[in-house]
Amino acid sequence: MNIDRPPRLAQLWLLFVTTLLAAPIVWMVLSSLKSPEQIAAAPYSWWPRPWRWGNYAEAVQAIPFLRYLGNSVVLCLGSVAGTLFSCSLVAYGFSRLRWPGRDLVFGLLIATMLLPWQVTMIPRFLVIRELGLYDSLWALVLPKFFGEAFYIFLLRQFFLTVPQEMIDAARVDGCSELGVLWRVMLPLARPALATVALLETIAAWNDYGGPLLYLNDPKRFPLAYGLEQFVSAHSSETHLLLAAAVLFTLPMVLLFFFAQRAFVRGVTTTGIKG
Amino acid sequence: MQRRELQLGIAMIGPWLIGFFVLTLYPFCASFYWSFCDYDLLSEPRWVGLSNYRRLASELASGGPFSRALANTAYYALTSVGLSVVLGIALAVSLTWQVRGRALYRMLCFLPTVVPTVAAAVLWMGLLDPQQGLVNGVLESVGLSSQGWFQSTSAAAWPPAWPGDHAGRILGSKDGLVLMSLWGIGNLLVIYLAALADVPKGLYEAAELDGAGRLRQFRHITLPMLTPVIFFNVVMGLIQSVQAFTQIYLVSDGQGDPAGSTLTLSLHLFLTAFKDLDMGYASAMAWVLFVLVMLITTWLFRTSRHWVI
Repeated sequence: MNIDRPPRLAQLWLLFVTTLLAAPIVWMVLSSLKSPEQIAAAPYSWWPRPWRWGNYAEAVQAIPFLRYLGNSVVLCLGSVAGTLFSCSLVAYGFSRLRWPGRDLVFGLLIATMLLPWQVTMIPRFLVIRELGLYDSLWALVLPKFFGEAFYIFLLRQFFLTVPQEMIDAARVDGCSELGVLWRVMLPLARPALATVALLETIAAWNDYGGPLLYLNDPKRFPLAYGLEQFVSAHSSETHLLLAAAVLFTLPMVLLFFFAQRAFVRGVTTTGIKG
Repeated sequence: MQRRELQLGIAMIGPWLIGFFVLTLYPFCASFYWSFCDYDLLSEPRWVGLSNYRRLASELASGGPFSRALANTAYYALTSVGLSVVLGIALAVSLTWQVRGRALYRMLCFLPTVVPTVAAAVLWMGLLDPQQGLVNGVLESVGLSSQGWFQSTSAAAWPPAWPGDHAGRILGSKDGLVLMSLWGIGNLLVIYLAALADVPKGLYEAAELDGAGRLRQFRHITLPMLTPVIFFNVVMGLIQSVQAFTQIYLVSDGQGDPAGSTLTLSLHLFLTAFKDLDMGYASAMAWVLFVLVMLITTWLFRTSRHWVI
């Protein structure tokens, strides 16, 4: 028990470290409310004087913010729908159905997780282009309908914990396999599905490489990519840039506070952020 | 009966299977084939044998962009993973102490990880601005010299000096990237905390009875019990940092600035493919990256026998 007894100065040390980690966020929010003159002024002052809430209105008008936001929302919803649909089907096939060669194919699925994305990047780009999806949000959404190894693995682990009796009972009552999945597994797996949905939302919201490769028309840019366009166009207007960055970050912070448990569950199973 | 089972199973995993063939297996084979070709997307790939790989080898020998990319990648991966292990364990242990406000401390440590990469890049480019940035301001106010960060090369790495750079500026662009990655240490902390919670309390009680102090308990109980998780984090960390792209692309103006000091393998590969349209050469690079990742993983698994319990 004694190991968690704090040593002397524990509070001071923890305060120091957490201040270091949190300070950049505080800095970002406060700077987004300053005037450009105050940002450039030395010596540095933390507190905005005056508070320029107008920075936010200006930042939103400086780029087609609402359009980008709309694209990001479509991207997130489409990706989550595709991921949940494909991964739950596939995870069921890998956990509660027995068929010859299953474990071998599952090993293959796990092996794909070790493949660096750079190896398949170029031919994949050409496949998507051949399908006529270049410069469309479908280029980013459609691949999600084919499942993602890591989410399949996560859901499979969860499906394996469901007692066999429940599945047998459903089958005896005349449920098809899809019925078992829909009526028994998915309702029970709600926490795991929530984790997958959460991780995929974050991944889709944050994705920068996808739009960089596949999108060309600014009308289709999601926020993550649109924000970068803002960087190149307004690199001298730090205050507006930071206001836009705060607006872009805010939904993720809210998501974190509302779904903290699903968050932690995701990280402990994976060790990776989307 | 067996055939019906097989049909049902294949049907269920169908979506993944289609994706596997079209979006993974075909690209995997195609990129291997193209790594032996000259291919600019406009005309058909033309077989050139080993010439792409020979070009990589000659760049490696002459110190061309590829050798720079390798050196940059190694510097970034080793520094960020090494520091993240030491700081991660130290911080996770601190967060197990029963102090007032522990839940708040834990939350604050995790908070930076929810900031999207694009926003984090914007944020750190502002904080690390050599002239107006807060970090240099703090360094100067405590009597240290200001650093060049994203606008200078690192003195500690290749290439060693940035023309016109003055003395005292040790930390450059790659160190800025390492700092950014350490800021997101919260993900590791969650894993370390979960592992620390699994260490049987009885071990500490027994050690306490034997008169072992805090440091000896850490050295002989905590650390050995953490080795499997450390191993996992080192493997994942190396694989991820070798493949890191977005933050590097963003802070380097999309081209490895300044002076190629942030030109990592993945950035070099991307630019070769989609800026120079040299798909064959880029594919060869991708395969070198793949082999590198495989070698690192195998080597870690082999050495793990000696230190992971």
